[in-house]
Amino acid sequence: MSWSRLFLIALFGLLVSSAGYAQNPTNTVAIVVHPATKTDNLSFDELRRIFRGERQFWADGSRITLLVRAPVSQERTVVLSKIYRMTEDQFRQYWIAKMFRAEVAAGPKIVYSSEMARELVTVIPGAIGFLPLNAVGGGVKVIKIDNMLPSDPRYPLR
Amino acid sequence: MRHRCLLTLALMLFAVPQAIIGQEPTAQVQNFHGFLFGDVVYVARDAATTDGFLIGQMVAHGNVRLSPRLTLFGELSGTARPDSYAFEVERVILRYDFLDVFKLSAGRYHTPVSYWNTAYHHGLWLQTSVARPEIIKIGGRFMPGHFIGAMAEGTLTTSALSFTYQAGVGNGRGAVLSRGGDAGDLNRNRASVFAAQIRPGHFGLQLGGSVYFDQAPTLLGNFDERIASGHFVFEPGDAELIAEYSQVQHEGSDDVERASDGWYAHAGYRLPGALSKFKPYVRAERLDSNAADPVFATLEDYRAIIGGLRFDFDGLAALKGEYRRERFGNGPDVDGLYLQVAFAVSLSRGM
Repeated sequence: MSWSRLFLIALFGLLVSSAGYAQNPTNTVAIVVHPATKTDNLSFDELRRIFRGERQFWADGSRITLLVRAPVSQERTVVLSKIYRMTEDQFRQYWIAKMFRAEVAAGPKIVYSSEMARELVTVIPGAIGFLPLNAVGGGVKVIKIDNMLPSDPRYPLR
Repeated sequence: MRHRCLLTLALMLFAVPQAIIGQEPTAQVQNFHGFLFGDVVYVARDAATTDGFLIGQMVAHGNVRLSPRLTLFGELSGTARPDSYAFEVERVILRYDFLDVFKLSAGRYHTPVSYWNTAYHHGLWLQTSVARPEIIKIGGRFMPGHFIGAMAEGTLTTSALSFTYQAGVGNGRGAVLSRGGDAGDLNRNRASVFAAQIRPGHFGLQLGGSVYFDQAPTLLGNFDERIASGHFVFEPGDAELIAEYSQVQHEGSDDVERASDGWYAHAGYRLPGALSKFKPYVRAERLDSNAADPVFATLEDYRAIIGGLRFDFDGLAALKGEYRRERFGNGPDVDGLYLQVAFAVSLSRGM
C-alpha cells in the first residue's frame, strides 16, 4: 500500500471521527433559561458577560440566577474553555475575587447533575444554566447563541 | 456599641453558613457566600525591625442576599499586635440593586480611589505579591483606604465594552489620617469620590481613573485634599500587568498647593505546562512626599524594587517568596526576604 493511499485512509478516518464528534449530543452544550424568560437569543459576547457576572439582570429588570455544574463534567469543561477561557483554578479564583470585591452578591449556584440543573432552571425565575443537548427535555427554554440553535453546525458550544 | 456590631457580624459570618452547610441542595438558591483569608509571613531584613514569623491578617468575608435585590456585605479582620489582636469591622455594605446600571448602598467601603485597594485589599491570597504597594499599604496615610458613607455604582455593558462607575459621598479621613471617619465627619466637610473603569472586549484589559475630594483634618487646621489616580491593568490569562499612578494635593489657608505622588508597576507571568503552579513577578515602586506639606509631615519618600515567585501548591493556598530592596526617606537601602503562606477558605458549597 502506497504512502499516499495510507494518508487518504487516515484523513478519511479523521474526518469521519470528527464529524461524529461534532454531532454527538453529549458534547454539545445547550444554554437553557427559565421558560418565562423573554430572551430568545444572546450574542456570544452577551453570554460571556452573563456567565462572568458582569451582567446580572435581564432586559426586563429581573435578576439573573446563574447555575453552573460542579466539577467534573463534559459540559462544564466546554463552558470553562469556550465561555470563560479559564482553568478550574482560574475559575474559582475569579469568582472568589468577584465576591470579595462586592461586584456580585453571590457566585454561581452550583448544581450536581443535569437533572438538578434542569429542575432548578425550571423553577427559579430568571435562571440560566447549561445542559448536554441530549439532557435538555421539557420545562426549559433553549436559547440561541448568535442566532444559532445547538443543532446548527456552526454552534459555538461544543 | 462597637462590640455589639462585631458580635452581629460575627454571627452573620459564622452562624449562617453553618446552617446552610448542613442542608442538601434544593430548589432554594443559597443566599450566603463567604470566605476566610489568612496568611503567615517569615521576614528577614537587614534593618533593626521586628522580624521572624508573623501572623498576618485573618479576614472573614461574607455576602448575604436578603432579597433578590438587597444584599449585605460584611468583612471582619483580626490583626496581630505585640500584645493582642486588633479586631476591626473592615466593610459593612448594605446595597440595593435596582439594575446593572444603578445600585445604591451605604456603609463602610474600600475607597475606590486606587485599583489595588478595591481589587485585593485584605485578600492576600488573591494578590500575587506578599504585600500591597506602599501608596496603598495597610495603615498607610498616602491615600484613604476606607470610606464611610453612601455610594451609587453600576455597570453598562455592550458587546464591545463594559463601563463601570462608582460615585460616593462620605465622611472622609478620621482623626488618625490612615483611618476613615467611622464615628462621624470631623470637619463637617463631606468627602466625595468618583471612579470609572472601562474594559474593552474580553481580553483582560482595564483602564480606570478616579478623583477624591475632602478636607484633611490636622492639628494645624483643615487642608483641602484632592486625589487623582489612574490605572492600567492587563490580565489576558497567564500574564499580569498592573500599573497605577496617584497624586495627592493639599492646600491650606495660605492657598499654596503642595503635591505628593506615587506609582507602582507590577508584572507577573504564570509559567506554562508542568510549571503552571509557579508565577514569577517583579514590581517597582516610588512615593515622593512633599516635605513642605504639613499633612504629610512625617510621610517618608519610598523606593522599592521587588522580585518574587508565587507557588500555588494547592487550589486555595499559595507560598510566596519575595526579595525587596527598599529605601525609606534618605536612609540606606534595606534588603529583605519575605516568605508568606496565604490561603483562602471557602464557606460556600462547590467553590
